[in-house]
Amino acid sequence: MTDDRLELPQGTLDLLILKTLSLGPQHGWAISERLHQVSRATLQVPQGSLYPALHRLERRGWISARWDASDNNRRAKYYELTRAGQAQLRAETRDWRKLTAAVDLVLGME
Amino acid sequence: MLGELWSDLRYRCRALFHRGAVEAELDQELRFHLERETEKYVREGIPRDEAVRRARVAFGSVDVVKEESRDGRGLALLEHVGQDLRYALRSLRRSPAFTLGVTLTLAFGIGANAAMFGIVDRLLFRAPPLLRESDTVHRVYLNWTYRGDRSAEGTYQYTRYLDLRRLTHSFSDWAAFSNRTLPVGTGPDARELTVGTVSASFFDFFDTQPVLGRFFTAAEDSVPVGATVAVLGYGYWQTHLGGRTDVLGQPLMIGTTNYTIIGVAPREFQGLPDQSVPAVYIPITTYAGTFMNGRRVPGYYTTYNWGWLSAIARRRPGVTLEQANADLSQAFTASWTQEVALDPRTPSLASARPAAVAAPVQSERGPRQGKVSRVATWIWGVAAVVLLVACANVANLLLARALFRRRETALRLALGVSRARLAGQLLIESLVLAVLGGGAGLLLAQWGGAVLGRLFLPEYQAGVTLADGRTLLCVLLAVLTAGCLIGLAPVLQSRRADLAEDLKAGSRKAGHRRSRMRTALLLLQATLSVVLLIGAGLFVRSLAEVRGLRLGYDVDPVLYIQLNTRGGGLDQAGQIQFRRTMLETARTLPGVTSAALGITVPFWDTWGDDLFVPGIDSVDRLGNFTLQAGTPEYFKTIGTRILRGRGFTAEDRAQAPRVMVVSEAMAATLWPGENPLGKCVRVGADTMPCSTVVGVAENIRQRSLREDPGLNYYMPLEQYHPDAAALFLRVAGEADKVKESLRRQLQPLMPGDGYVLVNSMRDIVGPQVRSWELGATMFLIFGALALVLAAIGLYSVIAYDVAQRTRELGIRIALGAATEDVVGLVTRDGLRFVLTGAVLGGAIALGAGRWIAPLLYAVTPGDPLVYGVVAGVLLLVAAIASLVPAWRATRVNPSLTLRSE
Repeated sequence: MTDDRLELPQGTLDLLILKTLSLGPQHGWAISERLHQVSRATLQVPQGSLYPALHRLERRGWISARWDASDNNRRAKYYELTRAGQAQLRAETRDWRKLTAAVDLVLGME
Repeated sequence: MLGELWSDLRYRCRALFHRGAVEAELDQELRFHLERETEKYVREGIPRDEAVRRARVAFGSVDVVKEESRDGRGLALLEHVGQDLRYALRSLRRSPAFTLGVTLTLAFGIGANAAMFGIVDRLLFRAPPLLRESDTVHRVYLNWTYRGDRSAEGTYQYTRYLDLRRLTHSFSDWAAFSNRTLPVGTGPDARELTVGTVSASFFDFFDTQPVLGRFFTAAEDSVPVGATVAVLGYGYWQTHLGGRTDVLGQPLMIGTTNYTIIGVAPREFQGLPDQSVPAVYIPITTYAGTFMNGRRVPGYYTTYNWGWLSAIARRRPGVTLEQANADLSQAFTASWTQEVALDPRTPSLASARPAAVAAPVQSERGPRQGKVSRVATWIWGVAAVVLLVACANVANLLLARALFRRRETALRLALGVSRARLAGQLLIESLVLAVLGGGAGLLLAQWGGAVLGRLFLPEYQAGVTLADGRTLLCVLLAVLTAGCLIGLAPVLQSRRADLAEDLKAGSRKAGHRRSRMRTALLLLQATLSVVLLIGAGLFVRSLAEVRGLRLGYDVDPVLYIQLNTRGGGLDQAGQIQFRRTMLETARTLPGVTSAALGITVPFWDTWGDDLFVPGIDSVDRLGNFTLQAGTPEYFKTIGTRILRGRGFTAEDRAQAPRVMVVSEAMAATLWPGENPLGKCVRVGADTMPCSTVVGVAENIRQRSLREDPGLNYYMPLEQYHPDAAALFLRVAGEADKVKESLRRQLQPLMPGDGYVLVNSMRDIVGPQVRSWELGATMFLIFGALALVLAAIGLYSVIAYDVAQRTRELGIRIALGAATEDVVGLVTRDGLRFVLTGAVLGGAIALGAGRWIAPLLYAVTPGDPLVYGVVAGVLLLVAAIASLVPAWRATRVNPSLTLRSE
């Protein structure tokens, strides 16, 4: 195992899930795959930790779930972003940008 | 935000009510993930077995994920509570003796609180039933200074009420009321009942409608004399008139006037029941206008001679209490000025300094709070302390139990149960115990509340009942408090558990270690018990002092009988003759040893007249002198001793030279250092002939048991006020027992609608002693309860220690320790606790003493006898509680104990 992988900072998993789902409905495994690929395998998301997060987001009404046939015709649970989830994604993205910009500024100090 | 909440709720509900389906879905979802992951590896050319393994590794523990998903669903807490509840119930069922003991202990604590809350709530907090917006309704009190005394008066004149109503603008409504005791009905059926004399506006303060007929109107309540109409109280209507609907229009005799029934108040309506709930309501002006046997009290609505009523007023919205008080005070000042103009003898404005206060409508919350409600409040506090002791006891038992269950706890911890879970479980067990205790406590309160209700609120019809929401709320609060308190100790203790050690040794440790928390709890119990017992001791001593007090007359063998002729068409001569006849007849009744007539009776009424003594400028300024006029046998009948000179004889007739007997205190005040016999006193006016002092009587207490100046004098009835007097009878034995038979013998002798009213002196003096009786009784009961609980606590701790030290004791005995060594070893500890508790409790009691001092009688809060006795009792109980386990310790069989390990 190489150590280029990063542990996710607390709370960012929700943001990543919301972002992933903003591209269209997905089931859990596909979300995990997508996170893995898009981050070029840098982000280490233990696959299991995805599901409690999904259930939490569903409870808060930011994503909704439905059962549907998957590509190889098995039933899979698909999650999609709700209207509230889209708003939440916008808000969290903005906050994240602000945070990272601020951290960059501080780190850029000479 | 709202949407989020709604979604949350819907989600949780589904998770809760369709748990099976939700769990199955989760299974399916996770299985799907693992299969896809496996397929991914297979497609990369990895053998299937290895692919399955890798997928699992990448995923992590399925069970943990499931658990966390459940947490994500927000259901875990509920599930855990359910599990813990079942676990707690199961483990409690397994130890029924423990459960029963704890339930009973808590039941006493919670029941005591519920019952006392019921009493205090009725005395102090609860607004009168049906009163609309009771926060804005005030009872008006008047303050002024008279002879250096400043007190808040709750009763005043009708004229004053009219003035206040007219001269204030902070209040939207006013009502005057006065609960009078009057004969209701005719002939032998007549009973003295509470009659609410109220202004017509009184009913508007309440949310109420008559169940029958109507209330009276302002037109029917007007000066000088209102209409003779009456509204029945629901209780009287039911008990005396059978709840018949045809009572409207029927006549009802109240006092000396015939009224017409026009309505019936609903069941919940009680008016303002200061002492007792009125049986019937009549217009206040009708009562005032017909007060004196159908004659009017002259000018009761224009002069300030007769103060007899109270007033309530509703504060306007937006007016603060300060504004209202200022407004009332200026009105009272203006009213006082009018009184001064009307009667020049009125103290001047500058010396009287009139001021008025708008107080809460409950009389016990006003400036004239009675002793009983203050004692009740104290006893409520005592009940809270009892609950605290009970909680400490139970916490101690739980700690002992937790120690015995140490291995079980350690095992659960080792199996991965989190400490938070464990603490939650302990807390739930405590709450279950508290709920059990609360249930049993309610039953106790139901039963005890009825008893307490009779003690504290004898005049109230309704006792304390379970159906009362406020009492239930109080119980709920007590249960939650108790549950948390008793759970606290074991939870704290569990955080310190040493896993490995406990697993190895279990509950059977050779070493001896007592937890500091148990010691602290024990100390707390001992301390609190001491405080309560000292309180009990102080009240018991007060009561003994009060009971032993010489009042200046006898109480037990004396009866006071009012002869109410209700006018009866008798003129003054007729009244005199009638009373003479009654006196002669009563004297011959069996059991009666002597009889007399007298115009006043201690505590119920006093009489005064202007006094003029040669050589003294203003007798008035020396004090308030009260007068009793009686027939020759008066002193013998009531038991007041003549110390010097003589009492009255049959020779002291109307035409004979006027004579007088004065009290010791009066003689000392008027003629200090001189012989009072033969002195001259003029009664009524300085032109009156001399009344010569012929005797000195012992002082009597007639206004207060606590401090009574005892300035009173006696005149022969024939020489003072021969037409108005009541009958005093002295009987052989206890007067209370012959009350009813005497009433039956005397009643037929009354003319017309007249009736007799028989009271023993005990009835009259009793209420004066009640607050001390209550204090002594309740402090003693609760103090004993606390002591017993503390003793049980001590016993259990020492017994537990002995059980823990079986091995050590066995070794000692095997090595030749004597019985007394073992006993000493075990009891010394217990006694040390108790001594510390006694010192701490004594210190607290000494500190708290000054607050309770006003409720005591002739006992200082630091009374050494009380402290000594309490310390003795405590040591005795502690000795017993620790000797039993100590004795058991000596029975330890060394060879058996040592082998069992």
